[in-house]
Amino acid sequence: MTSVIDQPQAASAPAKKKKKKGSHNFSGSDRVTLGAFVGLPTILHVLFVWVPAVCTILLSFTFWDGIGGLKNIKWVGFTNYRQVFTLDENLPVAIRNNILWLLVFALVASPLGILLAYYIDKNLKGTQLYQTSFYLPLVISLAVTGIIWDNVFRTDGVLNSILGNTNADTAVSWLGDPHKNIWVVLFIASWRHIGYIMLLYLAGMKSVDPSLREASAIDGASEWYTFRKVIIPSLRPVNVIIVVVTIIESLRAFDLVFILNRGTNGLQTLGVLVYDNIQGEGTRIGWGATYATLLFIICLGPIMVYLYQNFSKGND
Amino acid sequence: MKEIITENEVSRRSVLKGAAAGAAALTVGGVGASTLGASAASADTFNVSFGSNNSNGPGPEQDAAWTAAAKAKGINVALNVVDHNNFQNNINSYLQGTPDNAFDWFSGYRMQFFAQKGLLTPIDDVWKVIGGSFTAGFAGGATGLDGKKYLVPTDWYPWAIHYRKSVWKKAGVNPASIKTIADLINACKVFKSKGYTPIAQADKGGWEAQGVFDILNMRTNGFKFHIDLTAGRAKWTDPRVQKVFANWAALRPYMSAHPLDLGDQDAGKLVIQKKAAMIIMGSFTSGLYPKADYPDLALIPFPIIDPANGTDSIDAPIDGVLASTSAASNMPATNALLEFIGGTDYSGIIQAISPTLFANKYATVPGDPFVQSQVKLVQGTKHVAQFFDRDSRPDFAGPIFGPALQKYLTGGDPKAIANDLAAQWAALPPA
Repeated sequence: MTSVIDQPQAASAPAKKKKKKGSHNFSGSDRVTLGAFVGLPTILHVLFVWVPAVCTILLSFTFWDGIGGLKNIKWVGFTNYRQVFTLDENLPVAIRNNILWLLVFALVASPLGILLAYYIDKNLKGTQLYQTSFYLPLVISLAVTGIIWDNVFRTDGVLNSILGNTNADTAVSWLGDPHKNIWVVLFIASWRHIGYIMLLYLAGMKSVDPSLREASAIDGASEWYTFRKVIIPSLRPVNVIIVVVTIIESLRAFDLVFILNRGTNGLQTLGVLVYDNIQGEGTRIGWGATYATLLFIICLGPIMVYLYQNFSKGND
Repeated sequence: MKEIITENEVSRRSVLKGAAAGAAALTVGGVGASTLGASAASADTFNVSFGSNNSNGPGPEQDAAWTAAAKAKGINVALNVVDHNNFQNNINSYLQGTPDNAFDWFSGYRMQFFAQKGLLTPIDDVWKVIGGSFTAGFAGGATGLDGKKYLVPTDWYPWAIHYRKSVWKKAGVNPASIKTIADLINACKVFKSKGYTPIAQADKGGWEAQGVFDILNMRTNGFKFHIDLTAGRAKWTDPRVQKVFANWAALRPYMSAHPLDLGDQDAGKLVIQKKAAMIIMGSFTSGLYPKADYPDLALIPFPIIDPANGTDSIDAPIDGVLASTSAASNMPATNALLEFIGGTDYSGIIQAISPTLFANKYATVPGDPFVQSQVKLVQGTKHVAQFFDRDSRPDFAGPIFGPALQKYLTGGDPKAIANDLAAQWAALPPA
């Protein structure tokens, strides 16, 4: 412990000296190195993230069938936005689904994952087994996940067999009924998401000093109080990751619904609408770009608010 | 545009050379393995790339067989096989990237659209050679809006009511007695009382029910209205559209209750498993039948709704082979390949592996009774439509009309759906 205390003092003296001279004191090679470290990622980031993003936003103001060069792109102002909001019946369903996805992940799946992590971290008997079985869904690719659950929920599938009716006409239609299928999909997505959150939180909790827990136990705090007031605050970096992961996972939802029914009939998501309009024979780049821009705006909102709140607090 | 034109001019000159060489190679192949012939053939070897979407069922075996036969004629085919659905989903980027010289595709709007966009190479020179083997109907299906030929038609299949003879016999329904829609509904009542789903209906993929809409529309309103509607000359708000939905509503109680749970194969299997009595589907559903059950499969035309139209039209889409833009720089080889595919050697090789109907009028018609019934069905028909997604704009059929029918099948109001379709059509970007 002493060395830990000593080090900052030792380090602070030369740091002060450097500060006086200012940052323009870097040697040429330092500047090149720093320039490369900062510049290259910036260039790549701008080139592969922001240029396409801006192009997408620009394309959302055009008509283009994706064929031929730029001369075939027709500028149409806000026509695409007006059309998707007034004409497209898929859009309200997709927005509803993305919001439902976010709510279920944020209010049910993520808290459950954290709870599981908390219990598994207490080294109960058979912890390894629990840990593995909860994490297993994540090892399977989403495409395979879709196929597995399709076999469970199809009309002649496992679940209806257990319920005793696999007749194509009278059995429960889990995936074909547009009022029911989104809940089935959210169940499947949560099944996977819980393990993900559990693993992230578990890794974080391993780094919490056990003496903190002991101390609060000695002080007579209840488990729930310890969890709320000791564990969660000490895991702030992990919390940020979990919130961001939850938002991103729910807004980019695509693979699962695409495997189950190509994201039609009640399972539309914004990701599917983007894909449907830019891919295939019936290409309508303008609409696809419009959906992508909407998704971009929706993503930006919660993530910016959260990051701002969290990091501004952290810097106090 | 200028560049494209010069490219074509160059290709036309080389085409003549190529045609001569192609003819030489073919004759040599015919003569056989004389030493002189063999050396001449190797001097005129063609190298050509081919994009195949024939990834399912007997497809790989057929591809292997015909490419081997082409090789024996001095045409070396570099085969690029892509999963059938992926091929369709990626067709735009495929054709604009580095496409193979020739590739599997479909007739109708799905061909004309790409021809119009300049993504295909016209193959009129090939048609000078193979043209005599095709009837006017198929030649029309191979022609783009600019009057040039783009397609070498290969196989085709009709849409009809498919059923198992043993099931109908057991239920006591005589297929020959189904003349009108009333007969069909009476038969459905019999099937229902015996515990069958009378008509298996799929629409998980969003295209399966389009075939049902097509046939109901052609029987109710005639062929001309079908063509006018799919091409946008008739409006979706036309009261005749509601008549189609009304006739459909009369059949719905006898169709699968949850069509959106069923893909075309799922519904086809219900008929094979004797759970459903019939299915309105393309004859490709025969591919699902195990060898032992195949002889039990039969078809009848969809019955009459309006006597004025009778049973004079059906959907019978043609599949075939197109030349991409990359063919322009490899024209002699592409022409040689397309002439081979348009010929009877090719059809013979494919038919030897599974019974298929070929567009080539000199191709043998498989003796198989089910295939014979398909021929008979089409011969008794005056108008052949291509199927909704080949007769209409691709950006309407797939992303707009498909989901609209899914909505209808999950209880949507046909009036609201038709109004929405009309509004959506009006909002499409000019083609």
